[in-house]
Amino acid sequence: MFLALREIRRAKLRFGLLVAAIALLVFLILAQQALQNGLITSFIGAIERQSAPVLVYSVDGQRTLQGSLITPALQNTIEHVAGIAEAGRIGQGTFTVSVDGAPQSDAALIGYERAGVGAPDRLSAGRMPDGPGEAVGSAGEFSLGETVRLAAGGGPRLRVVGLSPDAQIQVTPTLFLSWPDYVAASRAANPDAKTVLPSAIGVRPAEGTSAQTLVRRIDAASPEADALTRDQAAQKSPGVNAVRSSFGLIFLLFALVAPLVTGLFFLIITLQKSRALTLLRAIGAPAGALVRALLAQVAMLTGAGVAIGTLMFLPLSQAEVGTLQLSFDGRAVLFWAVLLMALALASASVAARRVLAIDPLEVTTGGGAR
Amino acid sequence: MRLALRELHRRPGRFVLATAILALLALLLMVLGGLLDGLTAGSTGALRAQRAALIVYSGDAKESLARSRVTPSVRSKVQAVAGAGNAAGLGSVQLGARVPGRGPRELVPTVLFGYELAPKGLTGAPPGQGRVYADSSLRADGVREGQTILLGPARSPVKIIGFLDGSRFEGQGTLWGSLETWRAVQAANRPNERAGPGVDQALLVRVASGGSATSVAAAIDRATSGETKTLTLEEAIQALPGVSAQQTTFNQIIGITAAVAVLVVALFFALITVERIGLYGVLKALGAGSVTLFAGVLAQALAVALAAATIGAAASLALAAALPPDSIPFVASAGRLLSSAAYLVIAALIGCAFSLRRVLRVDPAAAIGSGI
Repeated sequence: MFLALREIRRAKLRFGLLVAAIALLVFLILAQQALQNGLITSFIGAIERQSAPVLVYSVDGQRTLQGSLITPALQNTIEHVAGIAEAGRIGQGTFTVSVDGAPQSDAALIGYERAGVGAPDRLSAGRMPDGPGEAVGSAGEFSLGETVRLAAGGGPRLRVVGLSPDAQIQVTPTLFLSWPDYVAASRAANPDAKTVLPSAIGVRPAEGTSAQTLVRRIDAASPEADALTRDQAAQKSPGVNAVRSSFGLIFLLFALVAPLVTGLFFLIITLQKSRALTLLRAIGAPAGALVRALLAQVAMLTGAGVAIGTLMFLPLSQAEVGTLQLSFDGRAVLFWAVLLMALALASASVAARRVLAIDPLEVTTGGGAR
Repeated sequence: MRLALRELHRRPGRFVLATAILALLALLLMVLGGLLDGLTAGSTGALRAQRAALIVYSGDAKESLARSRVTPSVRSKVQAVAGAGNAAGLGSVQLGARVPGRGPRELVPTVLFGYELAPKGLTGAPPGQGRVYADSSLRADGVREGQTILLGPARSPVKIIGFLDGSRFEGQGTLWGSLETWRAVQAANRPNERAGPGVDQALLVRVASGGSATSVAAAIDRATSGETKTLTLEEAIQALPGVSAQQTTFNQIIGITAAVAVLVVALFFALITVERIGLYGVLKALGAGSVTLFAGVLAQALAVALAAATIGAAASLALAAALPPDSIPFVASAGRLLSSAAYLVIAALIGCAFSLRRVLRVDPAAAIGSGI
C-alpha cells in the first residue's frame, strides 16, 4: 500500500492523465444522465403531476395530450363505465403568451374541469386556483404573482397563484387553469374554432375498483378510447422511449470505455514494472500484497476520477439548458460511482493475473524484464 | 518512422487494446453525431424540402407552424411585396393514420401538409382532393402506393399516389396534398384548430435570383405592420422547438468525447514512451534525431487512430443496418463518419504530442546507463 501511494506521487503525470480521463468520462456520463432525466421530466412531468389516476385519450391521440381529442360521444361512453367515482375534461394546447409584459414566449396551458381529476397534485409554493383567471405554473419557469396574457389578444388574463414542481409538458413552461379559462384561451388563439373539445378525460376509480381494472373496462367500452393509468400515460408517452433508447446506447458505450481505459493503463504499468515486481517477490513480498497494492491504486485513482468528475458536474447540475432544468441526482451519481469502480477493479484483473503469475526465480535469469 | 511502423507490424498485440478503446470512442463520436443527424433530419426535413427562400408566419405565432394563421388579407399584403406568383400557402396537421393491415389501435403518426408550391421531390400542381404523396419513411409502417389510409378520429380517407424522400417533420412521416385536402381533413379532425376559408398556416415566398431574402423579409413584415414574422428557411429550421438546443448540446458532448480521446491517446503513448526511454537513448546515441523518433510516435498514433476510426465506422454502419426503423433516430452518413474519423485522428495526434517533451529530453548517455 505504501509503495502504491509512493508510486502515484512519483509519477504524477501518468496517473494524473488517467484520473483526468476518468473524471471527464464521469462528467460526461453524469451530464447526459441529467439531460436524460431533465428531458423526460420536461416531456411528461405534467402527466405525472396531474391528479387523475386514470387518463383516457382517444386512440387517434397516440398517447399524447396535444394529439388527442375526445368527442362528446366518446366522453359520454367513458362517463358511463362502471366503477368511476369522478371524471372530468382535460384540455391541452400550446400558446404564445406574454408574462408580465415581457417578450412573447411559449406556454402550454392545461385546462381541467375538476380539481380532483386534472389539477396538479402537489404545489411547491402558493395555493390552488379558487376562481377564474388564476393558474398554477410550473416551478422554475413561473413565479407567484406573475400575470400571463395571450399574444393573440383576448382570452383570459391569468395570475399565477401557485407553483408545482416538475410540471412541464413537451419541454414547455406549463400553466394549469380552469376549463372555462382554457376554452376562452383556445377561442382567442383561433377564432375559427367552432368547438373546443377536451384532449383527455381524467378519471378517478370508485372505492373497490383498481385503476388497472378501470383501464380495462374503459378500453372494452369503446374501440376509440385509450385508457392508461397515470404512470402508464407518462412512461408510454411517444417521446420517452426514444429518449431512453438513445441515451441507453450512449451510456453503454461510455460504460465500456471507462473500464477499458483503466484496464489498459494498469496492464501497461504492470508490464513496465514486471522486473521490480519480480524482485519484490524474490525478497519475500507475497503475491497477495502486490495485488492488493495494485487494486488499491485502481480504487484510489478511480475514486479520485469519480470525485473530480462529480465536482465538475455539480455546477452544471444547477443550470438550465433552454427550458430544460437539470438537477443533481444523488442516486445516479452513486449508481455510476459504484458501477465504474466495480468495472475498473474487474478490468484490473488482467494486470492482477500478471502479478500473480510472476515467478520469483526469474530474478536470477532476468526473465522478469520481459 | 520505419522502425515505428515495423513495431506496429511485428508486435500488433501491444496496440490492440488502445485500438479497441479508440474504436469505442470513435463509435461513440459517430453514434452521437449520427443521433444528432437523425434527430435533426426527422424534425426539419419538411422545411428543408421547401423550394422557397422565406417562410411567413403570423406575428403572434412565435414561429410555430401549428399556431400560425395567415388570413387572406395578410396574404394579399405579402403578395403585394413578393409578387402574386411568388407566395404560396402551407398548412399542416398532425394525425394518426389507420393503415390497411395494421390493428385498430396501431396507428401511424403522420403530419399532413397542404401545399401550393411543390416541395423537392415533387413537381407541378398539388394532387386533387383526397390524394397525397407520402414520405418514403412511411413505407416502414406499411404504407404503399395506391393504398387508401384513414386519417384522424374522423377517418378522413386519403389515397397514396406516390412517395418523396427526406420530408419528415417533428419526428413523424409526412403526407403532402393540396391546401383543400388539408383544410377539409383538419376541419373534420381538429375542430379546435380549424382554418377558415382562405386561411393558411404560413406562406412560402420565393425570392428572384439576385434578390436579397433578408430585404424581402423585412419589406413583408413592414407591409403587414407586424402582423407577420418572416424568416429565412434556415432561421425557421433553427426556430423549430428543440433543434438549436439539441445541436448545441450534442456538439458539446461530442467535443468532450473528443477530449477524452485526446487523454486516452496521451496516456497510452506516454506509457509507451516511458517504456522506450532506454531504446530512444540508444537510437539517439546512434545518431537518430528527436524529430525522427517523435515522427515514429506520430506515425503509430496515426495508424492506431485510422484503424480505430475504420472499426468505429464499420460498427456504426452495422448498427444503422441492425436498428429497426423508428426505434432510434440514427443516421450513419458518409459525411458524419468522415468528420468523426477526422476528429479522432486530430485527437490522437494532439494526444501523442504529450510525449514530445519526454522524447526531446532523452539523454543518450543517461538512458544507456540506465540498464539497456
